[in-house]
Amino acid sequence: MSAGSGRLLRPERLKELSLLAVIGVTILVFTPLVDGYLSGRFFNRVSTSVTIIAVLAVAQTLVIITRNIDLSLGSIVGVTAYVTGQFVAAHPDVTPVAGVGLAILIGAGLGCINGVLVAYGRVPAIVVTLGTLAIYRSWLIEYANARTITTDELPSWVADLPRTTVASWGDLDLRLVFVVALIVVVVLQATTAKLRWGRWLYAIGSNPDAARQMGLPHRRLVLSAFVGSGALAGLAGFLFLARFGTINVTAGQGFELDSVAAAVVGGASILGGTGSFVGALLGAVLIDLLDQSLVRVEAVTEFYRNAILGALILLAVIGDAGLSAWFRRRRASEARPAVGTVPSPAEATPAAPGPAASPIPDHDEEASHA
Amino acid sequence: MAAGPQDVAHVDGSNAAAVLELRGISKRFGATRALDDVSLTVRPGEVHALVGENGAGKSTLIKIVTGVHEPDEGSIAVGGEAVSLRSASDAQRHGIAAIFQEPLIFPHLSVAENIFIGHRDRGAVVHWGDLYREAKAILATLDARLDVRTPATGLPVAAQQAIEIAKAISLEAQLLVMDEPTASLSAHEVDRLFEQVRHLKAQGVAVLFVSHRLDEVFAVADRITVFRDGRHISTGERAEVTREALVREMVGREVSELFARRGHEPGETVLRVEGLTKPGAFTGVSLELRRGEVLGFAGLVGAGRTDVALALFGIEPAEGGTIELDGHRVEIRSPRQALRHGIAYLSEDRLHVGLSLPQSVTANITLPRLRNYVSRLGLLDGSAERAAAGELSRRLDIRTPTLQTAVELLSGGNQQKTMLAKWLDTRPRVLILDEPTRGIDVGAKTDVHRIIDELARSGIAIILISSELPEVLAMSDRVLVMRDGAQTGTFSRSEATQERVMTAAVGVA
Repeated sequence: MSAGSGRLLRPERLKELSLLAVIGVTILVFTPLVDGYLSGRFFNRVSTSVTIIAVLAVAQTLVIITRNIDLSLGSIVGVTAYVTGQFVAAHPDVTPVAGVGLAILIGAGLGCINGVLVAYGRVPAIVVTLGTLAIYRSWLIEYANARTITTDELPSWVADLPRTTVASWGDLDLRLVFVVALIVVVVLQATTAKLRWGRWLYAIGSNPDAARQMGLPHRRLVLSAFVGSGALAGLAGFLFLARFGTINVTAGQGFELDSVAAAVVGGASILGGTGSFVGALLGAVLIDLLDQSLVRVEAVTEFYRNAILGALILLAVIGDAGLSAWFRRRRASEARPAVGTVPSPAEATPAAPGPAASPIPDHDEEASHA
Repeated sequence: MAAGPQDVAHVDGSNAAAVLELRGISKRFGATRALDDVSLTVRPGEVHALVGENGAGKSTLIKIVTGVHEPDEGSIAVGGEAVSLRSASDAQRHGIAAIFQEPLIFPHLSVAENIFIGHRDRGAVVHWGDLYREAKAILATLDARLDVRTPATGLPVAAQQAIEIAKAISLEAQLLVMDEPTASLSAHEVDRLFEQVRHLKAQGVAVLFVSHRLDEVFAVADRITVFRDGRHISTGERAEVTREALVREMVGREVSELFARRGHEPGETVLRVEGLTKPGAFTGVSLELRRGEVLGFAGLVGAGRTDVALALFGIEPAEGGTIELDGHRVEIRSPRQALRHGIAYLSEDRLHVGLSLPQSVTANITLPRLRNYVSRLGLLDGSAERAAAGELSRRLDIRTPTLQTAVELLSGGNQQKTMLAKWLDTRPRVLILDEPTRGIDVGAKTDVHRIIDELARSGIAIILISSELPEVLAMSDRVLVMRDGAQTGTFSRSEATQERVMTAAVGVA
């Protein structure tokens, strides 16, 4: 058996570990710069604010794995937040499960429109979702008719959701919304690893031609990824509603790019076939942590904050390219001797084409016709 | 579908039904008859080699067997049962697996997943432990030592083929089609592959083995079938077939229907190449080319002819040897330099690199020399472009509704002529034509031959790469033959017979 070293080096795991390391370094750097940085309150703030983008990063990763992209996520968040908000405001006695379920259903429906257009209409995902990004948003503007939903209209269980705590240690709280994001990550990480469906998603993104040649249900798989990402965006829309309470037609604007950023920093390749949901969460955490930290350092203006975040994304992609190149080189050097039988005397024979040890009749007359 | 998903029963013994039986298969593509009433039987546990020149119909046959193409006529039976193969998964369901020159691998998935990804019968939940264990067991029978847990990215072709063979075993394939599987393998890897083939054979799996290399065919095959011009020529036991007979059967075509060149005297030497070498592609290629001369490059696909052309045009520069133009030593490191020296190269890949399909005929023709159409103000002079394109299209008889028509709307022959016009617009002294008549109809082919003749008479030195032996022989003043990256012969027009050239191309003394 060839070296087990490859097992430790699975690219996704390596990326997740390196992200954890970067998060650790970020915390070390900012601890002396910001008063009360290593406090429960700061953890509570980051862990609450990261949930929406974390869920969206997971949604985006699901689509990116299949070599597609979903730019309409921000608009789906806006539509679900507004429509669900209006519904629970009008029916204050609706159960939390029904409220969240409605948001997820609306999101899944909008994702289904994207998926059908991409998978069956054969329009590139970037075009489809750029279109639905505008259409969903325009519909919301038309539908909302300049009316804003306010916190007072919402039932108390919605408004209280962001502060709902599952457990606490001192002033460090484990908030329910953060737990929800963790559950989403764990569920997707597990299902894509353990279900054939998940492996097929990776397969169609990794080599679409081979997938087609193999007869994998290509279109249904793409559709399922978009429906899944829409549903998660619906969930994110509900989290948005609960967190901000005040919802107008701009809700969720720009989240599509934040989600792409977090997914890419988290190790998803825009070329498909690779990406992990734990990575997406870590990418979202890193971006949010940097954002929240830089805000607290007075020397850093808003302009530099954006520039630093942009540079981080570029670094992630460049680092990723370097990492995979390194992995391939390592693989090439370790696989070559391992593929063949034990290096045999045959290896020493000159690299003449054609087999060496075989019943070849009259094989010695090669040089005679130059 | 005629046959349901139930697999062919495991067969043993020689009197069992044929694994694959093709009867009267015909297939046309436009004007070309790729396969003409072909019948072929593959027995259980045999290695059946399929040989023939380029364009003999081997690839089409493989595509029909693997469900990529459907035949126009004829019937297919698998294990004695009539089937229709409409897709790759149909073929897979009937126990037919295939390995192509470039294996179809999912680079991001682990080796084990690559083996089992196409399985529909393993349920919705992936049992990783079983997956790894079974993958390891199958690879062990092939003696391929791969870590089944690591991603397949970056694995050498030989290892990727081992994965494909393991996949075929795991699917309990009854027939494995191998299309030129040794093209990018080293000698040692070829041996290993053949070991794996013998292992499959011992398990009763039949192998349909397609190769250009007669050495390999004789090393591994039980029976050998020859195709020529889309027709089945012969099938025989390996022991009863000689190489000489095979070569004769592979060529054996009349040249008479082709365009006849008018003879004329070539002028002084334009291009002299000595010992041109690029490791891994070709070694020690030497040639001399005179004004008005057509030098044919013969050889099988993969012999290195195109690589030499790419080196002369600077796309993939050579690493050793010298190139002289008009007696002066030149370095060609890029196509820009080649064009400046008056060398032009017409690619064999018209659709991908030869033309910009959505653009107009004019835009395609003037593209390489666009700076000549810039007016004093720095703007493109459309009327000058149209004038030049118009003149060339008249000269080459490009049939297009207008010169502004997108090239993708033209027929293959007219696209080919547009590509020729494009390179003629650079006023080349040396013109390299790579498969200039591939995939175009007979009429357009004659036109291209006439144009080649006229260009030569106008003093352009031409290198003609063609896999159609009769074409090379009819059009060339001299013929250079390559095999496996080496120059194996140069023949004058009178010396160049089909047998001699083919012999040098496949490597039989």
